[in-house]
Amino acid sequence: MNNKKMLATMAGFAVVALSLQACSATGGENNGDAVDGSGKSLNVLIAANTLYPTEQQSWFDDVSAKFEEETGATVEFETFASANDELTRIQTSVLSGQGPDVYSLGTTFTPTAYSTGAFVTLGDEEWEKVGGRDKFVPASLGISGPDEANEIGVPLASRPFALAYNTELLAEAGFDAPADSWDGLLEQAKAMTHDDQYGMAVAYADNFNPWKFIWTMSLQAGNPLVVDGEATLDDPTTVEAYRTYFEWMTVDKVVDPSSVGWQTAQAVAAFADGNAAFLPMTSATSAVTFDKSAVAGKYAYATMPLIAPGETSAPQGAIEAATIISGDNIVVANYSPNQDLAFAFIKMLTDPEQQEIYFNTFGEMPTNAEAAETIQSENELLAPLLDAGAQSVGTPFSGAWGDVQLALGNVVVQLIPAIASGAVSDAQIEDQLKSAQESAQSALDRAK
Amino acid sequence: MTVTTAQSDRRIDPETDDAAGGGTQLRRKKTRGLDKRNRPLWMLAPGGVLMVLVIVIPVLLAVFISLLDLDQYSLREWIRAPFIGVQNYVEAATRSSMFHAVWLSVSYSVLVAIITLPVGVAAALAAQNRFRGRGFVRSVFLIPYILPAFVVGTVWRTMLQPGGVVNSLLETVGIDGGLWLNGPQSYWALVLVQAWSSWPFFYLLVLSGLQAVEAEVHEAAALDGAEWWTKLRYVVFPYLKGPVALAAIISFLHNINSFTLPFVLFGVPTPYDVEVLPLLTYLSSFQSFRFGLSAAMAVFSLALIAIPLAIYLRAVKLDTGDEGHKK
Repeated sequence: MNNKKMLATMAGFAVVALSLQACSATGGENNGDAVDGSGKSLNVLIAANTLYPTEQQSWFDDVSAKFEEETGATVEFETFASANDELTRIQTSVLSGQGPDVYSLGTTFTPTAYSTGAFVTLGDEEWEKVGGRDKFVPASLGISGPDEANEIGVPLASRPFALAYNTELLAEAGFDAPADSWDGLLEQAKAMTHDDQYGMAVAYADNFNPWKFIWTMSLQAGNPLVVDGEATLDDPTTVEAYRTYFEWMTVDKVVDPSSVGWQTAQAVAAFADGNAAFLPMTSATSAVTFDKSAVAGKYAYATMPLIAPGETSAPQGAIEAATIISGDNIVVANYSPNQDLAFAFIKMLTDPEQQEIYFNTFGEMPTNAEAAETIQSENELLAPLLDAGAQSVGTPFSGAWGDVQLALGNVVVQLIPAIASGAVSDAQIEDQLKSAQESAQSALDRAK
Repeated sequence: MTVTTAQSDRRIDPETDDAAGGGTQLRRKKTRGLDKRNRPLWMLAPGGVLMVLVIVIPVLLAVFISLLDLDQYSLREWIRAPFIGVQNYVEAATRSSMFHAVWLSVSYSVLVAIITLPVGVAAALAAQNRFRGRGFVRSVFLIPYILPAFVVGTVWRTMLQPGGVVNSLLETVGIDGGLWLNGPQSYWALVLVQAWSSWPFFYLLVLSGLQAVEAEVHEAAALDGAEWWTKLRYVVFPYLKGPVALAAIISFLHNINSFTLPFVLFGVPTPYDVEVLPLLTYLSSFQSFRFGLSAAMAVFSLALIAIPLAIYLRAVKLDTGDEGHKK
């Protein structure tokens, strides 16, 4: 009897839970070709902008109003605070088959999102709905999918990495512009290091920044790190990349000794205080900080060096990677009942008008070719960043990339004590790279 | 004292009955049977359902997931993820740093409990007697405990970084602080920060224990001419055995599960010296998307920690519910 009552109660719970799920799953319907969203609402998950929180809020309102004008539907924005928050949200939605209709994803996360199979593949029809594939800067499409027939991500914004430099310090030292090779850059940095001033500001303890250096230098030396599902992290070119990166601190002493514990914000702050001549691997968003700092009007951007460490010209097989394809891709969830509306929304955001608004509001580069051209012609300072974007190379499009990236970053994390002690031996680097190679390869072997 | 007598009386009764003869025994059985039948057990149903929903189902799910090859490729239809038996357990035991992580978690949790216990007891003793400003002191003592772990982590991270306040202070007395957020010292940084933020928990429980000591006991001790240390050692401390044992176990479990503080302090990827279990599980789940593997780690560690825990609970009699009577 008691058991029966308990069973009945549990069954009741289950019925309520199922009906609630059913309610939330039927939010709207597909209206065929015409996009009429009257009375509907589109849910969009996007990263919270910590630099411009108020501007982002008003951008949400403006975009929603504009979209309502065009389609009759409003846009409900939800934000996530960090990459981890983003992951958790996506996982929950993927698992439950309900949640936002549209997601804005970081580019390096796109392969992982693709591997879940939870997002709409963009065929000709879908590309047409967003205004055509050819309206985008070609390089920005490099990480939309494993190949052209299987793309899921529409590029929304581009944040290419480049080198910021202090024009005043360079001029004092007699340099016109930053060198185009890593060795050249190091020589310039040495010439500008004296007293409390350092040649470079580098965030060794950042969770995301260091692996990008290693990736860039390895590619420039001809090692793409992943080739046909095989990891090549233990290649001598990668050892050389780590050695160069560490020796800036241990041997060349062109970085602040404290930077062994720095995160990106601290490196940006050091450059903004005028204490460093170069800030490598930074994006356009740093301009916001610089314009309010001691280096306002005294800084410029350049593309990162393109010639690998130890070389004077690009070696054979080199991949001239100025930066990873960095920025945001926008994807539509498979389970969304509002897919037509979603594509109409993406079209609106990636058209020149909204792309320019996006750039003017947040300082992030357009992915729309026409808007990029307009901005390049109007904004001399940021032109090198657009150049860098055009020379960007996508990280390998594999669901295993997250693990490879983690393994690359982990090498730096585990060697921080050695860097701080003043010497990192090749044996230490090779030892760490051995386990990085193993974990990267094991992730690649699991890739489906 | 009265309680003990009443309890032993009750315990003796049935034995007398037994000695009295089989008839009485039969009656007793009958009465007991009736009692059992009439107990309104259905009233436990809401609690039971809640327990099934909140504890039993998630644990069973975790065990189930630990037997699947569940990752980003199979996440969408997770129920159909390939069943791989104990392979995840084998991988966790042989090819991951799980044992290292379990050792780190357990050792640092025990250390923190050992460090915070005397601090908490001392603070409680100091704040027990009336003095001017006692309320203020008691409030100040609680600050580390009520600060969110995120804030504690951020503040200490800033203080402990190279060139930070801690190293500058050490430098003024001629000590080179070295690296606190990576390398061997990071383990001690974790112990220090966790101890700083969790000692008021001991303080709170001990204070409540102290307030349970009746005034008569103090009077009796005074009449017998007990010195403060004798009084503390033989009169007050026995009262604190229960609260301290409870505080020790809760603090241990809390530290074993502590994720936010090490995550904020050290970030991900985590330095090997502080790769505690919650961080390793997080890394496997949310960075590598190996949900099956991380569930296996979680289940494995649950068993690993539950065994000594059960022994401890039995030893301090926190599991029988009658430690109050044994004081």
